[in-house]
Amino acid sequence: MKTSRLTTWLSSYSTIIILSVPLLILAALTNLFADYLLLRIVTALFVSLIVVLGMQLFMGNSGILAWAHVGFMGIGAYVSALCSMTPAMKEIAIPQVYPFLLQLHLPFWAAVLVGAAVAAVIAALVSYPLMRLSDAAGAISSFALLIIINSVLVHWDRVTNGPRTLFGIDELTNIWTAVGCAILVLILAYLFKESSLGLRLRASRADYYAASAVGINITLVRYYSFIISAAIAGFGGGLYAHYITSFTPNAFYLTETFNVLAMLVVGGTLGISGAVVGSLAVTIAREGMRAIENNINLYHLLPFDVIGLTEVFLATVLIIGLILKPEGIMAGRELRWRPKARLEEAERNSADGAGRG
Amino acid sequence: MLRVDNLQVRYGAIAAVRDVSLEVQQGELVALIGVNGAGKTTTLSAIAGTVKALSGSIVFQGQSLIGKSPEAVLRLGIAVVPEGRDIFPSLTVEENLRLGAFSRHDRNEYRNDLKETFELFPILQERFHQMGGTLSGGEQQQLAIARSLMAHPILLMLDEPSLGLAPTLVTQIFGLIVTLRSRGATILLVEQNVQRTLQIADRVYLLNTGRIELQGTPAQLMAEGAIKDVYLGKEK
Amino acid sequence: MFTLEFLVNAISSGSLYALLALGLVIIYGILKMVNFAYGELIMFGGYVMYLVGSITGLPWIFVALAAVLGAMIISYLTELVAFRQVRAKSLTALLITSFAVSTLLQNAALLIISPRAKAIILPPIFSTSVTLFGATIPMRNIVTITVSIAMLVGLTLLFRYTILGIALRAAADNFRMTRMLGVPANLVISSAFVLSGLIAGVCSLFWIGRTASVTPTIGLGPLIIAFIATVIGGMRSLVGAAVGGFAYGLIFSLIGVLLPQGLLDYREAFMFLIVLLILVFRPEGLVRTKHAEERIG
Repeated sequence: MKTSRLTTWLSSYSTIIILSVPLLILAALTNLFADYLLLRIVTALFVSLIVVLGMQLFMGNSGILAWAHVGFMGIGAYVSALCSMTPAMKEIAIPQVYPFLLQLHLPFWAAVLVGAAVAAVIAALVSYPLMRLSDAAGAISSFALLIIINSVLVHWDRVTNGPRTLFGIDELTNIWTAVGCAILVLILAYLFKESSLGLRLRASRADYYAASAVGINITLVRYYSFIISAAIAGFGGGLYAHYITSFTPNAFYLTETFNVLAMLVVGGTLGISGAVVGSLAVTIAREGMRAIENNINLYHLLPFDVIGLTEVFLATVLIIGLILKPEGIMAGRELRWRPKARLEEAERNSADGAGRG
Repeated sequence: MLRVDNLQVRYGAIAAVRDVSLEVQQGELVALIGVNGAGKTTTLSAIAGTVKALSGSIVFQGQSLIGKSPEAVLRLGIAVVPEGRDIFPSLTVEENLRLGAFSRHDRNEYRNDLKETFELFPILQERFHQMGGTLSGGEQQQLAIARSLMAHPILLMLDEPSLGLAPTLVTQIFGLIVTLRSRGATILLVEQNVQRTLQIADRVYLLNTGRIELQGTPAQLMAEGAIKDVYLGKEK
Repeated sequence: MFTLEFLVNAISSGSLYALLALGLVIIYGILKMVNFAYGELIMFGGYVMYLVGSITGLPWIFVALAAVLGAMIISYLTELVAFRQVRAKSLTALLITSFAVSTLLQNAALLIISPRAKAIILPPIFSTSVTLFGATIPMRNIVTITVSIAMLVGLTLLFRYTILGIALRAAADNFRMTRMLGVPANLVISSAFVLSGLIAGVCSLFWIGRTASVTPTIGLGPLIIAFIATVIGGMRSLVGAAVGGFAYGLIFSLIGVLLPQGLLDYREAFMFLIVLLILVFRPEGLVRTKHAEERIG
């Protein structure tokens, strides 16, 4: 019997639709009714989602913790900022900037894409040897990479203005840009997961030796996936730079790593639904706590100022989550539309066929 | 003293042990034989507490072992010498033995135990201060057994002690097992070397794909010829 | 350049780094986990010093004892409350947990005390110097060397001759088998954490003794050093960790001398580059252990 091709197609790609539509609705509602602060929060949510999806792409499918991910976000941010800032602005913001960088001036999208490209290139140059390393060595080496990236960002004054704030970037990321890119990355992550490369990567996660035995070049597969995820991180970084308009290297270090990890782990590392759900959950929790924190301080509800309450709360939630449900809210399942009626019909038909045989 | 009833153990979706019942009386040398993958090691692991049983009962001297940790099982009096020996490579022979005696608290007893150990395993006295990782396979096997004996177990479980050893060493190990038994030890032996095992065991259980296919004395099993069937496949 | 002052300074730093590395490796050896919260143990010791020092005004030796005890207790608690529950799950979960614990402790300090640096009252002996063979040597260095070496010797004795030490080493070799010999798993792991806390506490005395102040983020520096030292020396052996600490001091000084002026800021980055190279080409570290072991799967 015919199961409508459209239905089958819709079912397999339903995850993307189920995830994208609420995001679009959220963007629309925020744009229409929210105040400036909420608009900023939701835009930041979409940008974070991009970075989280990038991490999910590599970590969820390979099973390897990518500590350096946020470092590539930083690379993307700085490179795109350097490309998009006007020479006049650069002269003020980065006192001793290199002449060739000074002249550089690209439109927004070009700048962001260049940022992503540079992140990808750097990942391509340095990460190959690291892909061969086992659990413990792998974790340490990617942490080392994060620290190296941060160190370079902090010390290369003539490019980044060092540990001081880099300011003067135009605010070119609006909510529609952010949500649009988030959905694009979502589609990319989903397609990756189901692609040949993604399947091979997931096989290597499920059983390293079996995958090798089948002929999968695990190091190479990890390598390509890492580059893609670094590119996404760089892309997210570029969007972030043009949202926040000023930042320091510290914005792409341990605190942000914690945020991204929290979102991914809370939602569940194994699927993109987890990334989306986790980003939403953590953002709501964080902004809620921050509001509480600010109100306590503003109205002097306690005899002292509370700073850091939000982070303590989030860290506690993360630990409890890891203890009780380490696979996250989604536990790796994807939100899908399974047309039950059609499936039952198909089952009945195949049973008939078997009976006759 | 040990009684296993309807044991079932699964690794995820795979049933390694489907229905195993066996018992070991005091002073007996009971053997578990079977081909690779029959579930022998899993059965031992379930008794030892390193693997969780899905269902069934394991009772040792009146106490249930289900759900007990490996430490607790040792304290109740069961020592396991695992497959692959599992000696501590970066510890010396002396330290390996000392750790074996962890559950004992009498220093004099330890000294006497060492003397006995050297009688049974003279090579260990020679290598007393050498690192475990530098010992040969046969020596490591002796160390593993000696180490478990330091705990004064009531029941000693050995998982494939002859695995990977040269024939002369295999003879030595089996001779050692007989000696231990003659001193009154109760032993549950898992082995793939059927011939030798049948020579020394009091009773034998034959495992196949997670179930007991045959049981009895070696004489009974040999008479039935069924062992050959299991190992080499039934004649059609 | 290689004056007596420089030498003493180098040995002082080196022995402190060796201790730092040891505290990290103790836990890594058994659980195969890098305890990201290790730096926060040192931070905690510092804040105990601050609180006890400013509230009670006791002589420094009691303040120091409180700091060490505090670090041991908080280390034990992190294991009891967080790590023990996650232990049975994946290594990744453990790593993320330790990162979360680190963040929690840092921000708890921020929340409960203050984001600003707090001054620590140091004992007067730390500001004096002695003159030896014409060189002026700060007492602080001498105290650091003495205490560090004493600790290293003490720990060596513990690991070599006590049953607990043997059990810890065995657990690092094969945790499952250790349990099968009747050694309680929780005892081993808790002991490792308490020892790690003891070391961190002692290190905090001298680490903070350098700057006489404590901030919530002070733990990152020592963590990174312990990290690097452990990788250089080898993450599997205690001796390796100690050697790695000294090596770190040596390499760090060498880099400072060899790097051209413009690149001096990147010393830390270069250290990590060396870490990466070692991990790629010689992951077992520079110290040869008498046997090789592979972790399968």
